[in-house]
Amino acid sequence: MDPQPAQEAAMEHAEEHKDPPYFLVWGVLFILTILEVFFAFTGLPKFWIATGLIIMALWKALLVAMYYMHLRFEPRRMWILAASPLPLAVILVIAVLTEF
Amino acid sequence: MSTAEAAIGDRTAAHEHVDHDIPFIRKYVFSTDHKTIAKQFMFMSLFFLVVGGLLAMMMRWQLGYPSQPMPGGAILPETMAPGGILLPEFYNSLVTMHGTIMIFFAIMPLLVGFFGNLLIPLQVGAPDMAFPRLNMASFWLAFPAGLLMLASFLVEGGAAGAGWTSYAPLSASGEYTGVYLGQQLWLVSLTILGFSSLAGAVNYITTVINWRAPGMTWFRLPLATWSLFITSILILLAIPILAGALIMLLFDQTIGTTFFLPAGGGEPLLWQHLFWFFGHPEVYILILPAMGIASDLIANGARKPIFGYHAMVLAIIGIAFLGWIVWGHHMFQSGMNPMLGTTFMVSTMFIAVPSAIKTFNWLGTLWGGDIHFTTPVLHGLAFVSMFIIGGLSGIFMASTPVDIYIHDTYFIVAHIHYVLFGGSLFAIFGGITFWFPKLFGTIMNERWGKIHWVLTMIFYNLVFFPMHSIGLQGHMRRLYDPTQYEYLEPLQPMNVFITISAFLLIAVQLIFVVNFFHSIWKGKKAGPNPWNANSLEWTVPSPPPHGNFATVPVVYRGPYEYSSPESDEDFLLQTTPPRDQQQPEPHATPAPEGA
Amino acid sequence: MTTDAMALERGYMPGMRVYNLKLGMWVFLLSEVMFFTGLIGSYIILRFAHPTQFAEPGVVLNVPLTAFNTFVLICSSVTMVKAYAAIATGDQKGLKIWLLATIALGTFFVGIQVFEYIALAQHGFVPMASAYAAEGGALYGSTFYTMTGFHGTHVTIGVLCLWFVLWRAWKGAYSADSLGGVEIVGLYWHFVDLVWIILFTIVYLI
Repeated sequence: MDPQPAQEAAMEHAEEHKDPPYFLVWGVLFILTILEVFFAFTGLPKFWIATGLIIMALWKALLVAMYYMHLRFEPRRMWILAASPLPLAVILVIAVLTEF
Repeated sequence: MSTAEAAIGDRTAAHEHVDHDIPFIRKYVFSTDHKTIAKQFMFMSLFFLVVGGLLAMMMRWQLGYPSQPMPGGAILPETMAPGGILLPEFYNSLVTMHGTIMIFFAIMPLLVGFFGNLLIPLQVGAPDMAFPRLNMASFWLAFPAGLLMLASFLVEGGAAGAGWTSYAPLSASGEYTGVYLGQQLWLVSLTILGFSSLAGAVNYITTVINWRAPGMTWFRLPLATWSLFITSILILLAIPILAGALIMLLFDQTIGTTFFLPAGGGEPLLWQHLFWFFGHPEVYILILPAMGIASDLIANGARKPIFGYHAMVLAIIGIAFLGWIVWGHHMFQSGMNPMLGTTFMVSTMFIAVPSAIKTFNWLGTLWGGDIHFTTPVLHGLAFVSMFIIGGLSGIFMASTPVDIYIHDTYFIVAHIHYVLFGGSLFAIFGGITFWFPKLFGTIMNERWGKIHWVLTMIFYNLVFFPMHSIGLQGHMRRLYDPTQYEYLEPLQPMNVFITISAFLLIAVQLIFVVNFFHSIWKGKKAGPNPWNANSLEWTVPSPPPHGNFATVPVVYRGPYEYSSPESDEDFLLQTTPPRDQQQPEPHATPAPEGA
Repeated sequence: MTTDAMALERGYMPGMRVYNLKLGMWVFLLSEVMFFTGLIGSYIILRFAHPTQFAEPGVVLNVPLTAFNTFVLICSSVTMVKAYAAIATGDQKGLKIWLLATIALGTFFVGIQVFEYIALAQHGFVPMASAYAAEGGALYGSTFYTMTGFHGTHVTIGVLCLWFVLWRAWKGAYSADSLGGVEIVGLYWHFVDLVWIILFTIVYLI
């Protein structure tokens, strides 16, 4: 639990972030966007289109959070913090949806 | 604790500002010092507390003496009270603004803005908030928002009149209430206040997570700080939902969207869901800090460690989490899905468990204690007893069949006032008295504090306890004139009784006001630790200097080690090292008073 | 060296193991998540409750144009993260170039959105419009403009913040040891991108 001296931490920081494949992620995001647009107009039943699109959108969102927002390289407690509002969001939408 | 020890004696040069170097406007007006901002929040919200109280008095006059000229009512303009007789439209505004001002501009800024600012940095051992300028912005957003809310009384059509919950469609179109601009100002004002609360919450959370002094582990935090931290999380996640809903309602009012207007295909029920998804966490925003403050007061008064510290912390977290999944219990009468209603009923009843844990722990703390009945402790005891009454009536209401009967009656009014006035406000009075030395360097007068406490307890119960009874007999909430219903006529003497008690209740608050201001200037000077308490704020002078701690404090123990065998006194400051580690050389811990 | 670093040196508890500014930005972003949950959640609920008031994808909204716009915003995320990567190795010139590129792409995104709004309004699709719904009601216009409008506002605020960071970068305020400003504006920018990814899928494609 000893806090590291700040400079050491900063240097470690810099080294960690040299590697992430920013352009590769960008390519995946690009391909997923194109896939999404085509998938939306395939004429499948609405339920499957919605499910597929949401999975792809969440995948893209996860990529952005993991690599561009560097969540992958943060301590685990940061993950917990970042994920904390998501259950609440789901509870709100699902509960109110049952009204209709 | 090797790094912690290394930190001993390390002067915090960056924070050794000299007070008189700062120009007046930066020191008292646009200050970034958390203690000054706390005072600003305190004065602002005490002012709004008075305003909200006066609005309530007007309502009580109308209920006790319907359509008789109100004494002093002649100063109100024709649009509010011609000849001193309150108009029904103005009464609607009074109901709405009393709720709004008390909840958003009095209790919430007192508990979160004032106590949060004052206590968090002092109790975690930080020199200031993590973002002092954001902190300043927080106050300077809240204050104009309050002025805007007050200004809405003066615009054409009067202030908002759709209740503090502003249910759509009543609130979504001026056609229904006759209030156009007032309702819009209400929405804008609360949106601005939301930004202020968010700025505060970001600050508190960051400060508690990242700025704890060496040795201040999570389970050594005083419960006041714990509860303020959890409250900040609730604010952080609940207020944005309110902001989104307010903005949608504002669009409905102004640019012709139809989110909540059934005529245009919208869903009024959606407003209720969004509002209460915010509103129920808001209820806990208003009570959790009071619970934390009361825990500090009671442990200090009983001279015993708080009973079940870990259970207390887990109960706070449990209440906060359950608070997210119970919002529907405000809507049993709205025609919601019955299956959903049952779910909400069950989840609501679960809240009794952590609440009971806390209550029994307070009782366990008092049990066998050497109780010093100082004013703060008396207020803490008042908090516990009133919270029990308010909490028990809450369990009645959680049950759908009971709630359908008492919904929108004075039983609900009694319940909310038992929790908000009897709970939060007593804790606030106690907290102000307790931490007064850290604000102004003096102690409030004990005798007048006790007189104020006794009279407030008596009149408070005389006002609100009968409301349970008239509510069960069918007296509606927000009712303009009870005499217009034949079946309410037998209740009219009770209404008169409540009204007279309410006038006396507000009158005895003058004692507090006089005591408060008198003690600022003429009060007895306080040493660093007048209450012989343990947490970090009592290791620094009263009032603490800019930057709070001369050296970074090092924490060795929990905040409630009263009457410990390790100490000759009956208290042990958190900075006191264990016996075997005590060194003769002086360091961060100033000698306790009288030691 | 920030005050946070000094605090760490002095032995404050490790907390979240990130500096205050970054933790503060993350905490703020959590509240943003809830804000957009309110708006997007309302859209989902209203659409579920009144499906006939909403048009099928591609009928009213211009999907190819917006897909291109999504691509623009994704590109701006890459340039932003490259700006951060540049300053993390001490590359001042790279920081400024990538920041400028991000600003340009962000402005372009807002421009396309304004263009889209104007085109839609010319066809009669406005916040209070009921013309495009099979059944009377203005929910489609209400929800569409509120959601995309608030997202556009966030992008605009982001661009303004980026100008501020660029101005500071020009004055040489950032270095490999002190890049807090770049990192937190980046976090905000990526978050806005992330929201758009969700928004694009839910509003334009489903």
